[in-house]
Amino acid sequence: MGEWYSYAGKVLRVDLSKEKFWEEELKEEDVVNFLGGVGLAAKIIFSEVDPRIDPFDPSNKLVFMTGALTGTMVPGANKVTVAAKSPLTLAWGEAHLGGFWGPELKRAGYDGIVFEGKASEPVYIVIRNREVSMESAEKLWGLSTSETERRIKEEIGNKDVRIASIGPAGERLVRIACIVSEERVAGRTGMGAVMGSKNLKAVAVKGEGSVKVKAPESLRRNISRLYPMIMSYPPSQILSAYGTNGEMLSFYEYGDVPLRNFTKSVWEGIKNIEGRIMVSKYLKEHKSCFACPIGCWKVVRVQEGEFQGVEGRAPEYETAASLGALLLNDNYESLIYLEKLCNELGVDVISAGVVIAWAMEAYEKGLITKEDTGGIELNWGDYKTIIRLVEMIGRREGFGKILGEGCHRASQIIGRGTEEFAMHVRGLEIPMHDPRAFKGMGLQYATSNRGACHLQGTFFRIEQGERVPDLKIFRRVYRFETKDKGWMVAVMQDWHQVIESLGLCKFVQIHPGHVAGFYSLATGIVKRVTDLQKDGERISNLVRVFNVLCGRGGDYDKLPERFLKQPLEEGGAKGQVVELDVMLKEYYSYRKWDSRGIPTREKLEELGILSLVERRISELGIELTLT
Amino acid sequence: MVTLLIEYRYISLAITVSQEMFSEEELKKEIIRVMKVLYDRGLVSALGGNVSARNPGAKEFWITPSGVFKGNLQPDDLVKLDLEGNVLEGFLRPSVEWPFHAIIYKKRPDVNAVIHAHNPVATGLALAGIDIKPITIESVLTLRKVPIVPFAYPGTDELAELVGKHIEGVRALILQNHGVIAVGYNLVEAEAVVETLEEVALTQFVAIVASGGKELPLIPEESRELASRLYGLR
Repeated sequence: MGEWYSYAGKVLRVDLSKEKFWEEELKEEDVVNFLGGVGLAAKIIFSEVDPRIDPFDPSNKLVFMTGALTGTMVPGANKVTVAAKSPLTLAWGEAHLGGFWGPELKRAGYDGIVFEGKASEPVYIVIRNREVSMESAEKLWGLSTSETERRIKEEIGNKDVRIASIGPAGERLVRIACIVSEERVAGRTGMGAVMGSKNLKAVAVKGEGSVKVKAPESLRRNISRLYPMIMSYPPSQILSAYGTNGEMLSFYEYGDVPLRNFTKSVWEGIKNIEGRIMVSKYLKEHKSCFACPIGCWKVVRVQEGEFQGVEGRAPEYETAASLGALLLNDNYESLIYLEKLCNELGVDVISAGVVIAWAMEAYEKGLITKEDTGGIELNWGDYKTIIRLVEMIGRREGFGKILGEGCHRASQIIGRGTEEFAMHVRGLEIPMHDPRAFKGMGLQYATSNRGACHLQGTFFRIEQGERVPDLKIFRRVYRFETKDKGWMVAVMQDWHQVIESLGLCKFVQIHPGHVAGFYSLATGIVKRVTDLQKDGERISNLVRVFNVLCGRGGDYDKLPERFLKQPLEEGGAKGQVVELDVMLKEYYSYRKWDSRGIPTREKLEELGILSLVERRISELGIELTLT
Repeated sequence: MVTLLIEYRYISLAITVSQEMFSEEELKKEIIRVMKVLYDRGLVSALGGNVSARNPGAKEFWITPSGVFKGNLQPDDLVKLDLEGNVLEGFLRPSVEWPFHAIIYKKRPDVNAVIHAHNPVATGLALAGIDIKPITIESVLTLRKVPIVPFAYPGTDELAELVGKHIEGVRALILQNHGVIAVGYNLVEAEAVVETLEEVALTQFVAIVASGGKELPLIPEESRELASRLYGLR
């Protein structure tokens, strides 16, 4: 490759054990096949991480990889993927960070960073325009994420530096720990704990370069004219006005908002925690991530009462639902506090809410008692207890030690039949869309590579009536039907691999046809929608094979029994259960996976990764027969 | 020169036409010109409407982009597709309505230009359940019969199939709750059809309102006999 456009062309390698840094040129072949972001991270982890290791082993690699378009003028191009073998799922782990850190890294001269090893003492890394140093984080260890950011800026004397850090949760290897940068979060699959296991407190980046694109004038002209279309997308308008929680009432009408650990769907309290409340009483400021025309990031402040003076990012939908609705907590001000608390401690809000819901149900059923909880009563809706539990999770104290393991492990530790209502797939807690309201979401949860994921496909949009003609999804599908869901979920999952590989935010609606054009104009590598679809499918399949090698293949394509056998008694999804088997069969067939859920040789050959997969299996000496 | 065999109902016509080949750039400029005229006349709007054209016999066509302001398009904005919808050239997303453009080109070798406009009056009359009548000579000769296609969601293969079913033997269609389609040997012809359709619809609308809804006098049967017999006008 001559000159790189849109890509920096270099990946920084950091061996924390040896305190060694080196640069690696981006390989053209990898870019063409895996694009960037999650795709390049998948290639690196598949090729270099032994799937059998303990995720906290120093040989696990923590990859921060910007998307191919991150840092360009393309709307929403601000994401960076963080990936590793997950301590929560013991398989593929990934999370995505918005805000400004990714664009800053690219301006500093790197497409990504690969961390390996483990520092002997807590450290943080500073990157200034390809100059890299490792600093002691001894004085930062134990600090919250915002305090860490403040102190690092002070220490290095630059207030404009962008910092991604972990809080106490990551340091203490809480398996649901996340990574935070300026209130934006790489939340899922415990990437914060992997960072903590490497004694890596933070990565501070300052870049003064620019992200060059191949055809700047055409790109600018095409983008500027697309804004009427982007902002005409109904969810974008809601996000812009009310943030992600602006859709809560709409989801509630579908019976989609889970209540009381996914056992109810009607609740008076819902009106007290939805997005309009935030705007009418607490909104202080609208903010936007890099290159975002929508600005779903709202800053709120509590003016009076118990939480007076609390200020920070407004509760996102997932927060308001997981720490609110799911636990029957309708105290909105407590949710503002909890959002902040989770971000400061570095705890994933979804996993925290779901594991607390599991505990509350177990307590209600008498399966755990005050003896287990250290004397704490667990009652639905008790926001003070919820706050206390989140603090205990984040600091890994008392009963929080068990909760911080995630609901799957926690239920195995406690036993007593509590496994039945631990709501997870592959160990990752279920997000806040009840699949009985959108059945395709059930299939998406069951098959997404990182476990129960609402973002790898966002199939509820299709089931709300959205068509994607560019991906040949022409038909309006209904949420309770199962027909065609198999292939459509696969198509949407693959497309979302593309979005995550390009570093685009999913809240900025850009049609695939335009995405292909933007990629081509920005990088100079011409790809059409069908090319990108194939790339997305290649990435999906490679990560699937990694999961299979981790021992997390088709046997894990499951949903909690509650979704399969226990219909909701009222509300918008009354009487529904998820008919997973029929959808899964169609899904495997479309994907050309065998009955074990393993990609066939034919499929891997078609995607051009058969030799890569066979070579890796042979290197690892794992017995796996591809059919 | 090329001879096309076209079947209209039960009558076969052998039409000999001159196969004037445009350069790709000329074709693109012509699409831009037509789009501008339609925009200025209010027949396409900021985000609604699309135009495509091909050289006679070609298995590929140029089409306007989707989601981009339509009043100020440039030749570089156009996208070249094959008849299966694969993008061959261009960097914008092709009009989401490419499936019905493609099906028209497949079904109608005599057609080299397709316009989808949002004619307010023609579309409005269709919504009121009123079809285009033979009230002027232009409506008889230029428009002939204008079927109304039942609603199907824009951009879907279902809409394309419906258009494909109705497009045989006609120059224009009205899409229920959506707009109109006009076709022609070249863009000038399709442009003339789409403008005539709106003119006739407006005239008809004025007549209906002014007469208080009385039955309108049509062009006498004997004056439209040939067209009636050929195209099934009533």
